[in-house]
Amino acid sequence: MRRLLAPSLILAATLAAASAQAATPKDALVMAWNLDALITLDPAQIAEVNGNDIMRNVCSRLVRFNIADPSKLEPEIAESWSSSEDGLTLTFKLRKDIKFPSGKAATAHDAVWSLKRAIHLNFGNAANLTEWGFTSAKADEQIRAVDDHTIEVKLPQPYPTGLIVSAAFTSNVSSVLNKETGEKNAKTTDGRSDYGNGWFKTQSDCVGPYKVRTWNANDVLILEANDIYFGEKPGLRRVLIRHVPESGAQRLQLEKGDIDVGRLLSSDDLKALATNKDIHIEQTVMHGYSYFAFNAQDPILSNPKVRLAFRYLVDYEGLERTVMAYQGKARNSLVPIGAFGALDEKAGLPFKLDLDMAKKLLTEAGYPNGFTKKYILSANAFNPAVAQHVQANAAKVGIKLELEQMADANLFTKMRAREFEIGQIGWGAGYPDAHSMVSRHAQNPDNRPEAKLAQYPTWRSAWVDPKVNDMAAKAMMERNDAKRIAAYHELQKYMLENGPMAYMFQTVRPIAIRKEVKGFQIGAFEVRYRSASK
Amino acid sequence: MSVTDVNQPRETISRRPEASKIPPWAWDAWRIVSSVAVTLLGLLALTFFIGRMLPIDPVIAIVGEQADASTYDMVYKQLGLDKPLYVQFLYFMGDMLRGEFGNALFTGNKVSADLMRVFPATIELATIAITIGVFVGIPIGVLAAVYRGSPIDHFARIIGLLGYSVPTFWSGLMGLVLFYAILGWVGGPGRLDVFYIDIVDRVTGLLLVDALIAGEWEVFQNAVSHIVLPASILSFNAIAFISRLTRSFMLAQLSQEYILAARVKGLSKWKVIRKHAFRNIAVQLLTIVALAYAILLEGAVVTETVFAWPGFGRYLVSGLLAGDMNAVLACVLIVGIIFVSINLICDLLYRILDPRTK
Repeated sequence: MRRLLAPSLILAATLAAASAQAATPKDALVMAWNLDALITLDPAQIAEVNGNDIMRNVCSRLVRFNIADPSKLEPEIAESWSSSEDGLTLTFKLRKDIKFPSGKAATAHDAVWSLKRAIHLNFGNAANLTEWGFTSAKADEQIRAVDDHTIEVKLPQPYPTGLIVSAAFTSNVSSVLNKETGEKNAKTTDGRSDYGNGWFKTQSDCVGPYKVRTWNANDVLILEANDIYFGEKPGLRRVLIRHVPESGAQRLQLEKGDIDVGRLLSSDDLKALATNKDIHIEQTVMHGYSYFAFNAQDPILSNPKVRLAFRYLVDYEGLERTVMAYQGKARNSLVPIGAFGALDEKAGLPFKLDLDMAKKLLTEAGYPNGFTKKYILSANAFNPAVAQHVQANAAKVGIKLELEQMADANLFTKMRAREFEIGQIGWGAGYPDAHSMVSRHAQNPDNRPEAKLAQYPTWRSAWVDPKVNDMAAKAMMERNDAKRIAAYHELQKYMLENGPMAYMFQTVRPIAIRKEVKGFQIGAFEVRYRSASK
Repeated sequence: MSVTDVNQPRETISRRPEASKIPPWAWDAWRIVSSVAVTLLGLLALTFFIGRMLPIDPVIAIVGEQADASTYDMVYKQLGLDKPLYVQFLYFMGDMLRGEFGNALFTGNKVSADLMRVFPATIELATIAITIGVFVGIPIGVLAAVYRGSPIDHFARIIGLLGYSVPTFWSGLMGLVLFYAILGWVGGPGRLDVFYIDIVDRVTGLLLVDALIAGEWEVFQNAVSHIVLPASILSFNAIAFISRLTRSFMLAQLSQEYILAARVKGLSKWKVIRKHAFRNIAVQLLTIVALAYAILLEGAVVTETVFAWPGFGRYLVSGLLAGDMNAVLACVLIVGIIFVSINLICDLLYRILDPRTK
């Protein structure tokens, strides 16, 4: 026993000494998040929320959204931009004081290389450029550096300037990467260069307020202030993002002061934290949705009245107060509040739980006794609770929904392959303009199975309406703002009655912040770490 | 022979051909190498083909859910998924033989680099957990057998019941609430407080060892305060497992006539237990401790999740959920090697502990 006494005392002393440590460093912002989905730091490849959020603080874009009102654009690396009279040429004038963290001056040649590499690499983000007609074959003609500080972009069509700048030149692909680093680290496989993708996946060399110091996947990511950043200097020298996948553990750390910011907390934990005077919960309405989609290949679900009936099976506002507290705001229209061309809150939420109406519509559609359908969904977060709510109400009008929960990757695979009947899923708009959602959730350029347009949820739902395609194309090219808004309003109202998706909630992003952190700026498209101080 | 065969006499030397000129050590070495190779090959083949049948698409993890068909097809081909399964397997085996596991899709790093990072975190956690399991579980089991039917025995049963039945997720969170949030005795989730991250140079990957090598006593203290709770929670199941089996092995020995004979000869009760009964269950105990350790080394996903521990278990599950077969297969290989190695070590130790196997 005496032999055990010494180690026990050492352990006790160790714990006592170590547990005396409290609070976070004065010069660092410590966040806890679930970093499971973070698989790359390359701006040309990032396709998920964490990477986008983090790298906006590492790689500045040519143009940025105003943080409070994303419908307004602000200069970032480009100090100005203009459109030619015919609307076919965009010219960006870059700042002259931009430098990479190494001290090397960044120029229009780096910016052009970065844009073109995104097109050549052709990851999902390339769509920010390719869907506007930029192609790998023509990239050299379409995007060029006129001099060290001027970029000229030739547009295939005279798109409204605000729309094309917002869609293409605020996105990840307009980050200015160091061309020299990219070329030095490029690897060629089967005659195809990766433009340094292997290097940029885990490291950073771009113009921005922070640089990546350490990234241990599924553990911790550390950012360090870039002292020669041209803009507002970071208030805190370091940002530490810890991978804490469990909400309860995140909450305990936040209460204890071991982290400053909690980024992924459940509704229950947020409710508990709301009563803590040391913690503030910031809720931001995002430009994304939680919805369920119908596969129109199914003869029953191809009937618009059946799809309309489903919209009356959800108690939107009841769920908003309960299951979706801090997670979603009830909305049915496909253009999110805050985007250019969105219907107002009232017009965007015309549906409510109405079982009689649902029953009436089903009867009119020829299914008075209902039917049975499979309903697939993610096993994560609020999804099962929402699906069970829909299932319970559907049962009351004779519809039997067989729920099947699965991992996100599995859900995406099934929906992209049209292998579903009803699927509950989410979607985020890339920019605050109605076209962002309309181009994917209303238009369907080619509904043939062999077209494989899996990036279009309309194609996944095997739903196409030539009238909608035409309305969307006209609205996009309308250069008069008032007329453009009116066109999108008309289109949204049509989609509410006929579309293949039943939108339930516009996503809300809750962030719990300790009171010691001041000035942390949070917008729908950007969380600005550099503005935080203690 | 596997470590699970706890009650069977072991035959550790298979018969070599009579009159063979092959020396015994070479025959043994050949037998071990061939058996390990076949085991690992079978394990990899099984995992590879099951993995390819999973309804999870690794391409989506790379290109994103909103990618178009041309992007998808490009990456699909880059990953070699357009080739027949057996060709993919042959390529994969070729890479493995060159010691090349490829890149993990969900981290962007080489799998080998990832494993060098996550595996030491698990080794550290599992080693402390099994140490607690052995030093608590065996005495409880022995006492429960010696004092059968007494309050000590009932206490051991309760420990066993709790260890088997309390979900780790719950006990982990409750442990955090009590010892971290309320009492402040231990560190929170993660291996270190943020103050200490990146201070110690990585030498072994075992943070406690690296902190000592660097002479960073504060980092060492902090690492201890972070590991003690997850290791204790993790050890709970090992304590239950070890104590129950120790009790059962001990009871079997205590009912033997040689125990009575020793007592009649005048030996004290505890001397008989220590020198005779316990020595006779040592081989069996070694087997179950090795098994428990191997299971802990596989990684404890739930404990690692609750305690944000960047270990092997979470790495394997994240790889599986992302359909990242490079990572999954490397992990399976590691698990296979762990079990085979522990089996071999057990075989060697049996020879030392049990003269009948010589």
